[in-house]
Amino acid sequence: MLMQAELVWLLGAVAKGDKAAFERLYGATRAKLYGVLLRILGRPELAEEVMQETYLKVWKMADKFDPALASPITWMVAMARNRAIDIVRKRGEVSIEEEPDAQNAVADTPAPLARREMTEELKRLLACLGKLDPEKQRIVLLAYYSGWSREQLGTKLDIPVNTIKTWLRRSLLEIRECMGK
Amino acid sequence: MYDEAQDALAAEYVLGTLSSDEREHAEALRDIDPAFAESVRLWERRLGELNVMVEAVEPPPAIWEKISAAIGDVAPPDAASPTLAAMGEVRPFITDETPIPVLSSDQPAAEPAPAMPAAAQLTDTLSDSLTASLAKTLDEPSIDSMLAGAEPFSDAESDNVVQLTQRVRKWRGIAIAMQAIAALLAIYVVAAQFLPGLTPLRNRTGAQQTAQGPAQVAARMVAVLQQDPTTPAFLLTVDPQSRTLVARRVSAKPEQGRSYELWLVAKGASAPKSLGLVGQDEFTQRTIPGSIDLATLRSASYAVSLEPAGGSTSGVPTGPILFTGNIVDSVPTTPRT
Repeated sequence: MLMQAELVWLLGAVAKGDKAAFERLYGATRAKLYGVLLRILGRPELAEEVMQETYLKVWKMADKFDPALASPITWMVAMARNRAIDIVRKRGEVSIEEEPDAQNAVADTPAPLARREMTEELKRLLACLGKLDPEKQRIVLLAYYSGWSREQLGTKLDIPVNTIKTWLRRSLLEIRECMGK
Repeated sequence: MYDEAQDALAAEYVLGTLSSDEREHAEALRDIDPAFAESVRLWERRLGELNVMVEAVEPPPAIWEKISAAIGDVAPPDAASPTLAAMGEVRPFITDETPIPVLSSDQPAAEPAPAMPAAAQLTDTLSDSLTASLAKTLDEPSIDSMLAGAEPFSDAESDNVVQLTQRVRKWRGIAIAMQAIAALLAIYVVAAQFLPGLTPLRNRTGAQQTAQGPAQVAARMVAVLQQDPTTPAFLLTVDPQSRTLVARRVSAKPEQGRSYELWLVAKGASAPKSLGLVGQDEFTQRTIPGSIDLATLRSASYAVSLEPAGGSTSGVPTGPILFTGNIVDSVPTTPRT
């Protein structure tokens, strides 16, 4: 993984229209973005479409990236996730029992990272998550990683949607308080 | 001032659990309210740490070919932007002497191997329950649910934002006591394409929605109602297809014993027309009376007055007009993040 500073520099070059830098940026970030998108969208062809859209946006908006406000990968993943979630929300909810079998390109049993592989910020976030009830931890993680809606979370955990909404809001605000900024 | 409800909205937006309608509102708010945009950015930063744990998956090489071909047609960003100048200060990190690894598209991505160490053990700082939660979550089978019966999604929606400054419109022929209204209103509009069959907020049944053939282009209209340019009070979204209007209370606080009432002031009309009470809940949905046509909706002014509880009984505003705004056709400018 390229150092963050190198990614920032690459983005700066991309902002000036440097296609070689853009290709290097793509090479350094493509697998992470694709992994995120596959997990939310489930289908490779959709993940590919959003990949293309996202990188095109990166190309067009590299000059708007401000390294003081975000890291390159956070910026890019946020764009990709936003678009992916737009898609799954607009498609509407289907009851989980009706899911057809999907061609699953994602590894089935990824293990949590070893602590030494975690960033300091991630450790803090996980520590704060750890203070929540296990059920609340689960809905936050399912929502973030898999892009589940409140309805899907409610169905999965057999909890009313309004309770899910209340839990989510409270949990998120507790996370914010715990993280301190 | 920290607004907890606003922050919770930003958090759920970033997390992804807002409904489709709520997402559109949040996106519009993000464009017009810098404080909200900042909340969103902070949540993206907090929750974005979770990205570290997502395993990387190599995409098919064909994707790069398509991207590369696409950018051949697209002009690179404007090199004269101020942010670019700021980024020039970052360059000292990498001097001319520092070799930069060249990644050709044939090389595997320089990512950690997808196979995580099997013996991953979280130490006592992280609870066992969290470990179990994470393991269970990441074990969830990839879900194709949302996409059953899918066709490829429609062309990328183009989100357009325009900023206009307009004079306050005076209403002729209406005898109302009006409070002072800011001389200049800044109005931001987002026009978004949306898939047909989109259910209005209150009527959501959770049933599967299918795209009904090629997506029809019907611009959703948005108006921001406010008193001064820095504090939007209500956000209106008008859906011409379903003839519904959703008013989101952004910063206006409902007063005890009083009600907010929404009015439409059509061009050339002698009196405003009531669209009903708004603001008791965060989101209020109203059906637009059949007598009002699309052109009128688009060109009219909207206003919110403060009435006695239950609204005006006289058919015209009796209380002060607090917030006003217009819907305007959008003009494409720079795309939003």
